[in-house]
Amino acid sequence: MNARSKTSVVLRILMILFIGLAGAFLADLWGHPQRLYPIPEVDPSVIDTATVRQSYADLIRAKADLSDFDCYTCHEKSKPPPLRFDANQNIIIPKEHADIVMGHGRHNRNNNCFNCHNETNLEQFQTKDGRELKLSESTPLCGSCHGPTYRDWEAGAHGRISGYWNRELGAFTRKDCVNCHNPHSPGFPPRKPGPGPHLLHSAGEAVAASESKP
Amino acid sequence: MRRAIRNYLVFLWRCARVAFVGDWRYYAWMGLLTIFCLLGLNAYAKQFVHGLITTGMSDEVSWGVYIANFTFLVGVAAAAVMMVIPVYIYNNEELHDLVIFGELLAVAAILMCLAFVTVDLGRPDRFWHLIPGIGEFNFPASMLSWDVIVLNGYLLLNVHICGYLLYCRYRNRKPAKWFYIPFVFIAIVWAVSIHTVTAFLYVGLGGRPFWNSAIVGPRFLASAFTAGPALIILALQIIRGVTRYHISDKALLTLRSIVQVSMLINVFLLANEVFKEFYSGNLHVISSKYLYVGLHGHHALVPWIWTAITFNLIAMILLVLPVTRSLRWLNLTCVLCIVGIWIEKGMGLVIPGFIPTPLGEMVEYSPSLNETLICFGIWSFGLLCYTIFLRMSVPILQGTLSKANEGQPELEMAGPEFSPARPS
Amino acid sequence: MSDPIHANPAGATPGNGTSRRSFLRTSAVLTTGLAALAASLAPLRELSDFTSAEKFFQKYYKELTPAEMAAVLKRIEREVEKQYGIRPHVRDLKPMDGVEFVYAHNLTRCIGCRKCVHACVAENNQSRNPEIQYIRVLRLPHGSLDMEKAEHNYAPEQVPEKGYFYMPVQCQQCKNPPCVKVCPVHATWQEADGITVIDYDWCIGCRYCEAACPYWARRFNFAKPSIPKDKINPDMAYLGNRPRRQGVMEKCHFCIQRTRVGRYPACLEVCPTGARKFGNILDPNSEVSHILRTKRVFIQLKEELGTSPRFFYYFDV
Repeated sequence: MNARSKTSVVLRILMILFIGLAGAFLADLWGHPQRLYPIPEVDPSVIDTATVRQSYADLIRAKADLSDFDCYTCHEKSKPPPLRFDANQNIIIPKEHADIVMGHGRHNRNNNCFNCHNETNLEQFQTKDGRELKLSESTPLCGSCHGPTYRDWEAGAHGRISGYWNRELGAFTRKDCVNCHNPHSPGFPPRKPGPGPHLLHSAGEAVAASESKP
Repeated sequence: MRRAIRNYLVFLWRCARVAFVGDWRYYAWMGLLTIFCLLGLNAYAKQFVHGLITTGMSDEVSWGVYIANFTFLVGVAAAAVMMVIPVYIYNNEELHDLVIFGELLAVAAILMCLAFVTVDLGRPDRFWHLIPGIGEFNFPASMLSWDVIVLNGYLLLNVHICGYLLYCRYRNRKPAKWFYIPFVFIAIVWAVSIHTVTAFLYVGLGGRPFWNSAIVGPRFLASAFTAGPALIILALQIIRGVTRYHISDKALLTLRSIVQVSMLINVFLLANEVFKEFYSGNLHVISSKYLYVGLHGHHALVPWIWTAITFNLIAMILLVLPVTRSLRWLNLTCVLCIVGIWIEKGMGLVIPGFIPTPLGEMVEYSPSLNETLICFGIWSFGLLCYTIFLRMSVPILQGTLSKANEGQPELEMAGPEFSPARPS
Repeated sequence: MSDPIHANPAGATPGNGTSRRSFLRTSAVLTTGLAALAASLAPLRELSDFTSAEKFFQKYYKELTPAEMAAVLKRIEREVEKQYGIRPHVRDLKPMDGVEFVYAHNLTRCIGCRKCVHACVAENNQSRNPEIQYIRVLRLPHGSLDMEKAEHNYAPEQVPEKGYFYMPVQCQQCKNPPCVKVCPVHATWQEADGITVIDYDWCIGCRYCEAACPYWARRFNFAKPSIPKDKINPDMAYLGNRPRRQGVMEKCHFCIQRTRVGRYPACLEVCPTGARKFGNILDPNSEVSHILRTKRVFIQLKEELGTSPRFFYYFDV
């Protein structure tokens, strides 16, 4: 084959390839390059801003049924309820109050109900320094022992504040201790975490940074 | 004045026409390149529509092969100056007629760099935001703004020098020294600056300790001055093979010695880097660990980097052994240099900077099919440009395409190998 | 004279036959080539709503006159309504005088529940798929801040887990931000109240800022963001939570649409333990001022980099 006919062959092949290529482009032969892996929707409860518990003050504001808190429907006004302890100095919860689990303080340091409740007036609290507080004023009661935390709470550094950081532009609410802490067992309850991050290019979740984690 | 413009337009027209004629090998080569360009263009159209999710990049590894290729090619462009220095400063006559091929390679490389950066942008339609005066240009704080200036300036410098010299030769006129010599000397300094600025893109990021090291700049230059002249040697070998343009062995050996010294410096700097990373054992070594030995079960880059190091070492040995000084090994050596440095500078520099992320997450990267097609497309486009430049410049330098034979039937249409040999 | 240039090359005969044939041949190849070129651009048929003349020529944020900004805000409201069916309220909020925002995070109280992550997503109209989350919660073992030991994907039945602490990381709004330094078009800058903002309509998507950020705080829209229509937050700000587009960067902006009108950011509102504290450091009575005065040990992440973050991690006990 001489040079000229080689050129013709090459050019003819090129023409065929160009036409083929044009067809392949128009037919989108190698498919859509974008691929998104399905990511499940996040449950709306994850972004719920409600507190863990409701305080007595919240119940009053919500005009809820407060009959559970009327102690003297069962107790007698003149008779302070007796406390009973077991052999290990643990308080024995009466079966009427079986929903209470005591877990306030280590080594049974705070297992006397009347450290906080007032035995002569069950509808009030009492502090060690002799103040009497209403049921809706539980926060200063906690603060009477937990001083540093209470000071932080007053400054806004502990606990939840919501609303306006700029107090001149709007109102803010500061949650009470009992909105998060069960006063009988104050440890903050663990919970299920929200879903973790998803990678862009794989159905798996983000790869663990270290396989040899402690 | 009108005559001058007419002459120039005719010159451009004839150059353009000659790019479309050649022998069957020329058509096959250009056809193949065009096909890859079109594949790349199609892939880019898909990326333009669907976004960068068509690539393998993610928030964890947010730069990939586009920037890797860009980094490598800036080095290639800078290396054209490696021929300018011997010729204009040391008056090396052997290389005198070949400098222009290096500068044309620089032009093609810069065009590829600009293409790689453009395809990497998320919003290329907002390119005008980068234009100083019209957009908002964060100069001098942002190293990317420096890069925009130096790359475009380097392009204009080389286009001016090559265009002027070629046009003078076409017109059979002696070029006016004041119109190109100062630019040549500016280009020497400018070439070093384009690669230093590109290095500083990485070095300036304090949050990425893998990059935040003073050795990155010198390493860039050393590897650029190895891979660049190696590419020029290969280009010259091809010109020798398909045209009758005279290229002496001595010229190739001079370039070879440039590659030799640069590769020695490159390997030395690599040893420096490896020592610094691994000896003191501080926490910043994790990206290097990932690259060289793998980290926590991830080792995608390990075979790549060791291949690169092997190639570089073999090339270095081939370059220093006297018995292999023969030109027989030169092509292989050059290929080893180019591939080794491409891997080392591309995947071996850009990707480990992202793995692990600054928060310790390990997400690996591999380019998608679309990304690869675009890379091939841009490389083909660059080779296409360079082939066209050579196709135009060789006949001009040989004298077969000149003003003197304007108006004659275009007999060089049959291909340069049919042009009788002319002393250069 | 015999001019070697004009010697006949082997195999070619002069005359019109050759030139016409070669011309036809060349133009046939050229035509098919151009057809292939046109066909290669076929995917652009699917391009819709990418840009308009109005968007293309929109000026830089700092150069928009109030009238131009009003027009831009109206345009955004129209577009969001068209895409999501809700008429939003988009405002251009300016920083308040005498305000510098600081975030303090209590590592003793954080339980790693990730509610902040998802509340942020809901408030700021982030893409659900591809997933963009400004906040990344890290689980670190007691005693170490080594990021290599950080676990991003912990999924136990309950948090907190024993032996670990949790550290959410988001944009630290650094005083010396590396992202602002490197942006080639000034698309990101720091405002007077300390928030580093992004003009989404100016960003070119080069992702240099993402590489520069030492906290991995910036996110890129690799594809068109997808937000469920019923989850759109219509209360928007230009520099804040208005829906972004494909190809631009985004990141935490301290809920600019809330904080610049005096409200707490969404992550703080949802935090069940009150670990997150936010406010004006220039106000001595704010909770953040109290914290920075009274707590003794603060962690500013990667302090040695000189970024001077406005995010302080501290411990109570």
